[in-house]
Amino acid sequence: MSAVAALRTFAVSPPARRVHSLLRHTRSARILSWVGFVAAWQLVVPLLPTDLVPTPSEVAVFMWNELRMDTVAPHTVYESFSLSFQRLAVGLFLAFAIGVPLGLLMGMRRWADWFLHDFVVVGLAMPSLVWALVAGMWFGFGDLAPVVTVTLAAVTFVVINVAEGVRNVPKELLDMGGAYGVGRYATIRHVIFPSLMPFFFAALRYGLANAWKGLVLAEVWASTEGAGWVIKFWYDAHRSQGIVGYALFFIIVAIFIERIVFGRLSGWVFRWRPSDDRRAPEPEPADRDEPIPAAVSAATPGRR
Amino acid sequence: MATIKVQDLRKEFVTDTSTVVAIENVSFEVGGHEFVSVVGPSGCGKSTLLNILSGIESATRGTVDITEGDRKAKLGYVFQSARLLPWRSVIDNLLFVQSSRGPQVRARCERYLDMVQLSHTAKQYPGQLSGGMQQRVGIARAFSIEPDLLLMDEPFSHLDAITARSLRRELHVMWQETGKTVLFVTHDVSEAVELSTRIIMLAKGGRLVADLPVELPFPRDPASDAVALARADLLRRFESLDLLAT
Ligand SMILES: Nc1ncnc2c1ncn2[C@@H]1O[C@H](COP(=O)(O)OP(=O)(O)O)[C@@H](O)[C@H]1O
Ligand SMILES: [Mg+2]
Repeated sequence: MSAVAALRTFAVSPPARRVHSLLRHTRSARILSWVGFVAAWQLVVPLLPTDLVPTPSEVAVFMWNELRMDTVAPHTVYESFSLSFQRLAVGLFLAFAIGVPLGLLMGMRRWADWFLHDFVVVGLAMPSLVWALVAGMWFGFGDLAPVVTVTLAAVTFVVINVAEGVRNVPKELLDMGGAYGVGRYATIRHVIFPSLMPFFFAALRYGLANAWKGLVLAEVWASTEGAGWVIKFWYDAHRSQGIVGYALFFIIVAIFIERIVFGRLSGWVFRWRPSDDRRAPEPEPADRDEPIPAAVSAATPGRR
Repeated sequence: MATIKVQDLRKEFVTDTSTVVAIENVSFEVGGHEFVSVVGPSGCGKSTLLNILSGIESATRGTVDITEGDRKAKLGYVFQSARLLPWRSVIDNLLFVQSSRGPQVRARCERYLDMVQLSHTAKQYPGQLSGGMQQRVGIARAFSIEPDLLLMDEPFSHLDAITARSLRRELHVMWQETGKTVLFVTHDVSEAVELSTRIIMLAKGGRLVADLPVELPFPRDPASDAVALARADLLRRFESLDLLAT
């Protein structure tokens, strides 16, 4: 029986059918699309009348050499990225140091909201390129311009999210604490702070996404080291595989931060959530007809 | 066992467009091992009354005195929804409202969790429990501070009939065993008749329209004739006051 059945199965699944069924599985479809893309890239590039487009194999060799610290650039990929990370960390720290108090004020006091509202909207809408150019002009070459760019690019996301978080602290839990005479410190620690967590995460994630782009631009424009600057180095050297290779490093780092760092961290912070979706939840904007929540989601990448 | 003295209580909510009178000239006294139900149609100010008693809201006029002997009474409050901190475990939710820490306090919390048969959930998060279990945690939390007075705001109205019925029995036993004073808000007349020693009726606009003892022996079978008669009598009073029309 089995021989006949096998024969029949084979007969009704010609190759086209099998490709079709492969495509119906997410994972295999994704792998297939990547293999196809890289193969097409590798095949098409030699036909182009230019040597400024690298083949995937050239890019791969370049990246491998960089990772082995075999490079003609003045700094290794590790040095460049760790410098950029330090700038990012300092800039984000400043953004939170400035943004959290402003956000708390905006969330708690109506006059502060009216007063700062328009600036926040402008800040959210401002391309981080502008911050990079302005900071470069003000502070010249060095660490300061990239750090300031990171701070400026991230701070409005911090302000708006913290303000929105404060408005969303559940009143019924505050009342419950009040009815039982729970003290101010315990209320802040166990009611207010945890309910702000999703908004901190949103601030961190969106602020980081925006700041990272600003940082690279600032390093291209106003620095003599860092990962952004190295991209310009390869540009000046006419080494297109260097530009593409560094772009891939950026992407890998971004995915690493998003998946591993944020994934782990929010899985731990939100471990109390009953669902299996323990990623940082998108904060739900309050019922306000003002444009701020829309501006946040418009200016930020959506969830996958 | 606490003493409540409410005198000429009035509460207005002033909004941009209007003024709502939620409580109008209400006075009553409660003392001792009573189980007092506050009954009335929704919107008649029952929650507002409890919120004023617990200090969440302030009165527009009038006085509230809740004492235990010659000191201020300690209050436990059970809300319509459980109001647990979703990010703290069940036992931590009980510990959150304690005024002191220590091994005896923790043991006490565990004891009251056991009283609502939820010891096994101590380390779980509220989101892992059913609605009925969460409400029981809320009840255990209220008892765990060993209050002189227990305020309960329609604690079973969100639950299915079967769960509500067994929780009513549990509550009755706990009330008898612990000897607390209970002020129990409900819009359900049957529930009030089954549990209370006394019923206060509020009408729309927050007026107190009746204050009656319920003189039936416990345990009260909700299906018995005596309970059915008392319920019918109360409903007739409500109708005669034209309270349900609004
Ligand atoms: N915070 C508030 N602001 C304005 N009006 C309120 C507020 N709380 C309650 N009310 C009004 O007071 C009245 C009594 O409300 P409530 O005490 O919740 O009624 P019940 O609990 O009996 O259903 C209702 O008309 C309600 O709309
Ligand atoms: Mg109510």
